[in-house]
Amino acid sequence: MSAAATPHLDLTAPEVVKKISQRSLVIGIVFAMIAAILAFLRPDEFYRAYLLGFMCWLGVALGSMAILMIRHLTGGGWGTVIRRILGAAMRTLPLLAALFVPVILGIHRLYIWAQPLGNIEDKHLREHLEKLTQTYLTVNGFIIRAIFYFAVWNLISFLLSKWSKQTDHAGAPDNSERFKAVSGPGLILYGFTISFAAIDWVMSLDPSWISTIFGLVILIGEVLSAMCFAVVVERILYDYKPMSEMLTPDFVHDHGKWMLAFTMVWAYFNFSQWLIIWAGNLPSEITFYLTRLHGGWGSIGLILVLFAFVIPFAMLLSRPFKRDIRRLVWLAAWMLLMRYLDLFWIIEPNFSKTFVLTLADVVVPIAIGGIWLWYFSRNLASLPLLPAYDPDAHEVLQPTHEMHV
Amino acid sequence: MKREPMYGIMAEFDSAQALIDAAKRTHEAGYKKIDAYSPFPIEGLAEELGFHRDEVPLVVLIGGIVGGLTGYLMQYWMSAVDYPLNIGGKPYHSWPAFIVITFEMTILFAGISAVFGMLALNGLPMPYHPVFNVPRFALASKDRFFLIVFSSDPKYDPAGTFDFLQALEPRSISEVPS
Repeated sequence: MSAAATPHLDLTAPEVVKKISQRSLVIGIVFAMIAAILAFLRPDEFYRAYLLGFMCWLGVALGSMAILMIRHLTGGGWGTVIRRILGAAMRTLPLLAALFVPVILGIHRLYIWAQPLGNIEDKHLREHLEKLTQTYLTVNGFIIRAIFYFAVWNLISFLLSKWSKQTDHAGAPDNSERFKAVSGPGLILYGFTISFAAIDWVMSLDPSWISTIFGLVILIGEVLSAMCFAVVVERILYDYKPMSEMLTPDFVHDHGKWMLAFTMVWAYFNFSQWLIIWAGNLPSEITFYLTRLHGGWGSIGLILVLFAFVIPFAMLLSRPFKRDIRRLVWLAAWMLLMRYLDLFWIIEPNFSKTFVLTLADVVVPIAIGGIWLWYFSRNLASLPLLPAYDPDAHEVLQPTHEMHV
Repeated sequence: MKREPMYGIMAEFDSAQALIDAAKRTHEAGYKKIDAYSPFPIEGLAEELGFHRDEVPLVVLIGGIVGGLTGYLMQYWMSAVDYPLNIGGKPYHSWPAFIVITFEMTILFAGISAVFGMLALNGLPMPYHPVFNVPRFALASKDRFFLIVFSSDPKYDPAGTFDFLQALEPRSISEVPS
């Protein structure tokens, strides 16, 4: 707790980040080659797995952007200490925009509404889609909306990153008000765009089913992914300077509290959706859960209830557990796996009445993840781990009580 | 309980850092029953005082579990035993419908346990406390930092403890009558 040593701290990211970057790229390329073979051999399975992998890693990037905007609005050392991790994840959005192209290429294989309606055997679904495909669910509309979402997200990311970079150097302007001016409207925009994106990309896989809370279910999953991802990265960096000097148990405690809060909200939104559909018991709504509770999918649902909510919730109640980065990181890594399983349980039962886990479901998310992590760690290495001349930097570089005196 | 004539000896410091350092040295010197007072929360002070965790979280956990069970069993008894109603053809014992109230009751009982458990364990409300016998203690809510060694400490000895605290170079030092 010596205040004198810290201002001279070298804030550049440690060498390990470069090593992660190289290894991720190798893993990404190897798995991408296997994925490419699968794309030729089993294109249907490939595109489903691709959508799953894409949604997993998009979640980390967008969730990081959302948490970063929360930090800009509320302030607090917990956010300052990880803002460059969140920022590096957010700045993968241009890559994710490029990675969305295969989803468009596979649109006819993924989405029943993009196929010729004459092929659909179910008469009710065909009549339902005859109206929908005239208005909202069109291929052009899907593409134009996707361009719009990525434009909004990349614009927010661009502005926040640009102002953040300015505060790495002496004589930096105080950008706090600018951050706030973008983050407030930015969070609202994120809420709307991710809701529409969730409807377009995931909910429309079953165009006969509607849930008005579905966008929020996806949204909270994304921020939960992002917080867990930040905890994993901060743990890796904690073995090296400068993170070993910056990350105090108080900050880790706050990150643990966020994980608890997001886990609870995730469970709350999912339960709300389930309760309303269960209570209403309408034929058009219950299909979602009927599919997902039978044919082997029910076990996945039960695993999610127990291992993505009940047990993590109980563990996160403990104060010493939340304050210990060496223990918290294991739960964070586990929760990232559960995020994958949750999206798997949402996406895959649309295509199969009985449980099936294809090779592509494993390979493609790893391929996307490798490439994404390579880009992320390059971003992380390109800037110092803390903007030293930001007015908030002292929250991390100085013990709390000395700020008051 | 027999009341000691002296409650303890209190030292006054100028800064949070001075208080932390003093607390650390006092704790290291073997004094166990010590406490500190400051105008704002000081990060790391509780650890230097050798402060142990209290039982409030346990009280809250038990309160929450009791609340959850009460909520669920209350609804089960009402909906399935005492006054069964057929609602939408669903079973009388329909657990999804009970979850919301169960959750609320968990929060309610845990919250009430937190407040009353805290009051029971810290002895508040406390109309009389010996530290206020020291006139300068009023500054503890303004800009001064106080460290006290209680007379109940096994290592406490009026002259020796006084000299020990004096060696920490406090701004002032006072005996606290009970």
